[in-house]
Amino acid sequence: MTDGDYDYLIKLLALGDSGVGKTTFLYRYTDNKFNPKFITTVGIDFREKRVIYHSRGPNGSPGKAFKVHLQLWDTAGQERFRSLTTAFFRDAMGFLLMFDLTSQQSFLNVRNWMSQLQANAYCENPDIVLLGNKADLSDQREVNERQARDLADKYGIPYFETSAATGQNVDKAVEMLLDLIMKRMEQCVDKTQVSDTANGGSSGKLDSAKPEEKKCAC
Amino acid sequence: MTCELNLNFLKELERETVLQVLYRDQMVRKVDEERIRKLKMQLQQLQWKGTNSVSHEYQERSCARCQKSLGLVMNRGAVCNGCSHRVCSECRVCLNPYLWKCTICYAHGDMKVKTGEWFFEERAKKFPAEDRHETVGAKLLKSYQKLSKISVVPPTPPPFTETTGRNTAMEISQSKSFHKSVENLFLSLATNMKKISKSQNDMRADKSLLTTDYGQDMERRKERRSQSDTAIDAANRIKNIPTLQQLISGTWDDNEAFTKRYCKQAEDIPTSPMSDTVFCGGKKHGSLYSINSTCTEAGNFDTTNVTGEIEFAIRYVFKTCTLEVCIKACKNLTYGEEKEKKCNPYAKIYLLPDKSSRSKRKTAVRKNTVDPAFHETLKYKIEYSQLETRQLQISVWHSETLKRRVFLGEVVVPLSSWNFEDNSTQSFSWYQLKVKSGKPEDNLVQYNGELLVCAKLILPSQSKKCQYEEQMRGGREDQASADGQLHLVVLGAKNLPVMRCGGTLNSFVKGCLTLPDQHKIRQKSPVLKKEACPQWKHLFVFDGVTPSQLRQSCLDLAVWDQASFGSNDRFLGRARLSPKEPSGTWDSDPQSKCQWQKILSSPNTWIDITFTLHSDMDT
Repeated sequence: MTDGDYDYLIKLLALGDSGVGKTTFLYRYTDNKFNPKFITTVGIDFREKRVIYHSRGPNGSPGKAFKVHLQLWDTAGQERFRSLTTAFFRDAMGFLLMFDLTSQQSFLNVRNWMSQLQANAYCENPDIVLLGNKADLSDQREVNERQARDLADKYGIPYFETSAATGQNVDKAVEMLLDLIMKRMEQCVDKTQVSDTANGGSSGKLDSAKPEEKKCAC
Repeated sequence: MTCELNLNFLKELERETVLQVLYRDQMVRKVDEERIRKLKMQLQQLQWKGTNSVSHEYQERSCARCQKSLGLVMNRGAVCNGCSHRVCSECRVCLNPYLWKCTICYAHGDMKVKTGEWFFEERAKKFPAEDRHETVGAKLLKSYQKLSKISVVPPTPPPFTETTGRNTAMEISQSKSFHKSVENLFLSLATNMKKISKSQNDMRADKSLLTTDYGQDMERRKERRSQSDTAIDAANRIKNIPTLQQLISGTWDDNEAFTKRYCKQAEDIPTSPMSDTVFCGGKKHGSLYSINSTCTEAGNFDTTNVTGEIEFAIRYVFKTCTLEVCIKACKNLTYGEEKEKKCNPYAKIYLLPDKSSRSKRKTAVRKNTVDPAFHETLKYKIEYSQLETRQLQISVWHSETLKRRVFLGEVVVPLSSWNFEDNSTQSFSWYQLKVKSGKPEDNLVQYNGELLVCAKLILPSQSKKCQYEEQMRGGREDQASADGQLHLVVLGAKNLPVMRCGGTLNSFVKGCLTLPDQHKIRQKSPVLKKEACPQWKHLFVFDGVTPSQLRQSCLDLAVWDQASFGSNDRFLGRARLSPKEPSGTWDSDPQSKCQWQKILSSPNTWIDITFTLHSDMDT
C-alpha cells in the first residue's frame, strides 16, 4: 500500500481507556481478524486500509466513487503516554472514541476524553463516533445501551455497540465516521470557495540569484 | 530500584517502537506529498491552458476556459460566480440543480479536499501559531534528531557544517512551539540512549539512521553513515530511507524498483561503478568508506572517481514558455587530471531524450578549481506539456585544450515529477554528482519528436467472401498465405524540430513497406501547411500482403518538411517498425519488434503506436 493511487488520505484516531479494545478493533477493521490477547500499545501506532467511498448526490442518488486511503491511528490508553497520544489528536480528521461495555469506569471516562478532544483536536467540534466495544460479552455488561445512547445524544454524535470479536458494527462505525468527514469536507469547500484562481507561481526564488546572462550556448 | 532499571529498559524499547511507527508514518506522508504534488501539477496545467489563451487573445465574447466564441443570443455563456469569468455551457460542473462552477473553480475546490487543505485551514483557525502542515509525527522525528545531535557532537566538525548549522537553527526555532512534555520524554529517551551507546561511531550511525530530512541532506548524512563501522542492514536502509534520486524521480514504488534494479546491476557487474544508493563522498573520503558499504552497495570505485556536488535551480517561466536552469556552483569536484591536480570544470546540460546539439547548453569553463562558481542561467524554449517527457541531464566536465574531455559527474532530473508550480522547488539545492548512468553516449537515441499512428492488419477471413472460401477449404491454416491489407493511419506528430522563423512546418509523411523480396510499397500523405504539430489523419493502405510476408517485412515512416521555391525537402525524423532486433547505429526502438508482432498477432484490431522520431538519415 505504498502507491499514491488514491483520492483522499483520511486520518482517523482511536482513543479511550486502556484495555477497551482499540487495537483489536482496528485490527478487526483492517485485517478482519481477532486477536484476543491483550498487548498494551506503546505510545502510538497506526494501521492502514484502502476503501472505496461512494458519494451521494443531493437527492440521494449515487454519485462518484473515490479511493480513500485510511490511516487509522491507535493510541495508548495508559496514562503515562498521555502527553504523547494527545499530541497526535491534532492531526486526525475524525475520532473513534471507545469505551468498554463491561467496564463502567471506562464509560465514565468518556467525558474526560471528550474534553481532551475539545482541547487538542483540530477544531472545537470534530467528527466523533462513540463506540461501546466488547458487545459480545453480554454476561459481563456494566453499561446499558440506554445510558450510552443518552450520552452520545448529549454530545450529538453517533453511537455504536461494537465487537472486535464478532466484527459487529465494526465496519459500520468506521464508515459512519468517514461519511461524516467527507460531508464536512464538502461543506468546507462550498462555504469558503470564492474567486481564488491564483495564477501559477512563476515568480521565483531564482530571481534573487541574479545570474549573469550568457549568450553562447554551444 | 530494580523497578526503575526495568523502566529504563522499557523506555529504550518504547523509544524504538515509537520511532518505528514514526518512520512508517513518514513513508505515508511521503507518498501523500508526492500525490499532492502531482495533483497540483495537473491543476497547474489546467490553469495554464486557460490563462495562456487569456493573455493572448481574450475576447469579451468567448468562453474563458475553452475559448469557444459565444453568441449574443444563442449560447451566450454565463458568468461563473467563483471567478466571474464568462464560460460556455460545456465548461461548467453542476454541483446541484441551482449551483454550478466553471471547470477551474471546481478543480480548485476539488484540490482543496483532495490535498487535505480544508483540514489545515480549519486547524489553523484553532491553532494559528503552529505550523500549518507539519504533523506531530514529523515534529517528533525532527526534535528527536535535534536532541540526539546535541548529545553527540563529534570532536571534528563534519563536512558541510554550513548547511548542518542552518538546519539546526531552523529546527530549534520550530521546536519552540512544540509540546514541552513530549520533548521532555524524548530528552530522557535520548539521554538514555546515550548511556547505552558504547561508542561514538554507534551514535553516529544511529543518528543518520534516524534522519527525517531528505533530499540533499539525506545524501550528506549518508556520507557520514558510510564512514561508520556499524553494520546496518543494507536492504533495510534502502527501503526505509529515500535517496535524493527517489525523491526527485517520483513515486515510491517506481523507485524501489529502480533501486532494486540498480542493486541487481551492481551484483551482476561487480566492476560497475554504478550505485545510486550510497555513491557519495568519493575520493576525498575514499579511505573512510567502510568495507561493508563498499561491498554491498558501491561496487568498484577504481574505475571512475566522481565526487562533489552541484548546486542549481530549475524553474519554468510560463509567460515565455521557457525552462530555465541556473547553474550556481560545484564543490568538491574530483581532479580532471589527477596527477597534476588540474581541473577546469564546466557544466553541460541536455534535455533528454534529445541528445542533439539543439538540446545542448554549456556554461563557461572555470580554470584551476574544484569548487567552481558558475552563476549561469541556461534556457530552453519549450512547451510546458513537453516537459513531462523530458529529463534534464546536468553533467560536469573537465576541459583541457587539445585533450579529450574528462567526465566529472552528472545528475539526471526527470522533469515529469518536477513541480514547477511550487516555489520551494525553484530554490537552489545541492545535488550529489553521480557516475554516468545507463548506456554509452552513442547508443542514445536522437529525439526529433513523436509520431502517432494506429495500425491494423486486415485479414480476409473478415469479409464474407473469404469466410466462405475458408469454409470450403475446411481450415484456417491458409490464413497465413491469404492476401491481407495493412492499414496504417498517420494521426499526427508533435515536438517536431522547427527551424523556420515562423515556427511552422509544411510537413508530410512518407511510408515505405519493404517486403522480404526487397520489393517496396510506397505511400505518401498530403502536405499539411503551416502546422507545427500536424494532424494528418491520413490512411495508408498496403495491399496484397500476407501475414507471413509481413513477418519478415519492415515499415519505415519518415516525416518531411516540404521545401518552398524548389529547394530540397527537409528531413525531420524517421521511425521504423521491424521484426528484427535493433541493429546498427540508430535503428528502431527496442519495442519496435513487440509493436510489429502485436499488429500481426491481433488482426482486425487497431493498435496505437507512438514512435520516437530519430534524426539519422542513413539506414
